[in-house]
Amino acid sequence: MSIQGHELHLLTGAYAADAVTGDELAEFEKHLESCATCAEEVRGLRETAARLGMVTAIEPPPWMRDQVLAAASRTRQLPPSHGKLAALGVPRHVTPLRQRRALSRPVAVAAMSALAAAVVVLAVFQVNTRGQLQQSQAGDRGIAAVLTAPDAYIEKGSPSVGGTVTAVISQHDGEAVVTTAGMPDPGGGKVYQLWVISAAGARSAGLMSGGSTNPTSPVLADDVQPGDRLGITVEPAGGSSRPTTTPIILLSVST
Amino acid sequence: MNTPSTSERPDGAGHTEGHGQDLSGLLARVARGDHEAFEAVYDQLAGPVYGVARKVLRDPAQSEEVAQEVMLDVWRTASRFDASRGSAAAWVMTIAHRRAVDRVRAENASVAREQKLAPGPVSGDDVHQLVEMALDRQRVRRCMGSLTTLQAEAIKLAYYGGYTYPQVAGLLGVALGTVKTRIRDGLIRMRDCMEVT
Repeated sequence: MSIQGHELHLLTGAYAADAVTGDELAEFEKHLESCATCAEEVRGLRETAARLGMVTAIEPPPWMRDQVLAAASRTRQLPPSHGKLAALGVPRHVTPLRQRRALSRPVAVAAMSALAAAVVVLAVFQVNTRGQLQQSQAGDRGIAAVLTAPDAYIEKGSPSVGGTVTAVISQHDGEAVVTTAGMPDPGGGKVYQLWVISAAGARSAGLMSGGSTNPTSPVLADDVQPGDRLGITVEPAGGSSRPTTTPIILLSVST
Repeated sequence: MNTPSTSERPDGAGHTEGHGQDLSGLLARVARGDHEAFEAVYDQLAGPVYGVARKVLRDPAQSEEVAQEVMLDVWRTASRFDASRGSAAAWVMTIAHRRAVDRVRAENASVAREQKLAPGPVSGDDVHQLVEMALDRQRVRRCMGSLTTLQAEAIKLAYYGGYTYPQVAGLLGVALGTVKTRIRDGLIRMRDCMEVT
């Protein structure tokens, strides 16, 4: 490889991060056509960069879906290309202005449908959590906040009754979201109850549903401090103010 | 009800390929004009596409525009996707990231770039996917933590900040060549770190 080729090769990372512009970009893309090792390295680093992108996922506004599907139904698709593709098959082009206008946000309608969708989401959520302590919309938002918190980490455990318990914990927010899967129905009208256990004692965080192989609706525990533990006990219907049985699982919040 | 998927469960060699329906197969159907397949692709990738646009642009309205353009691009150009050149998710994310940085560079959109993201409501059904995403986020964070400070800063500024590598060099006060190599060896380290998990 020439010295110049070697210099260009060092651009694979910056190129994969879309941080190369102008003449240098054109030069590098030309180089890629003749440098198989560079192309292979770019391919791998693009996958890595894509994963940095994937973890930023947030739910787009609900109106966007209809808007995009409608736009697709009136947009002609490109035929397959047999010629040389743009580097790595990712097309560079600009959506025509007319299309952009068709995609612009219908403010009033969007606001209305977003509201309607939020109400539906909330309704579904509350149906899912029937039998648990009532979840307010604030709690619902709190759950999303924990699950998407930048410092969120996972603690998983196997309760003595079988199944799994998953806690997503954000130390920064001092909150944890707990779900269970595959725990048997406690039977006899009993319920599973989640506790935040600290030196000061056990505090109820809510009731958990069991008897489902799928992950159950999440329960949000707040004011969770490093060193605390999250525990689940079997309690009489309606739950207890203090744990009355031995926890079927204890998860530690790391310090 | 339709809740867009906000998570892809990358695993091993397939990297960012989906846990649900196979994205490559779906894109092949989209290329043949299959609207149902396009809906499935939308549900799997609209969240990541919108997320990366928000990360780079910050401004919600501009991010919404970019995300819509990207998804429409996916519809229009699905026939150009070539599975032998990389995963479907990486193909879509590349389109998304390019569009977002193009927008930043064209308009130098600095409006409200510091705005904090407000998470939307979440249904019980989303939780499984959100947990998967949190796991993946944990993995990315752990691997990012294995980099040197300079590597991590350079990658974050370039990828999440949408800065060109000469701009990154200026921001970090280091030579161009240094930034170029730090982004490269940092990404290589990230790649190797995430492959083994």
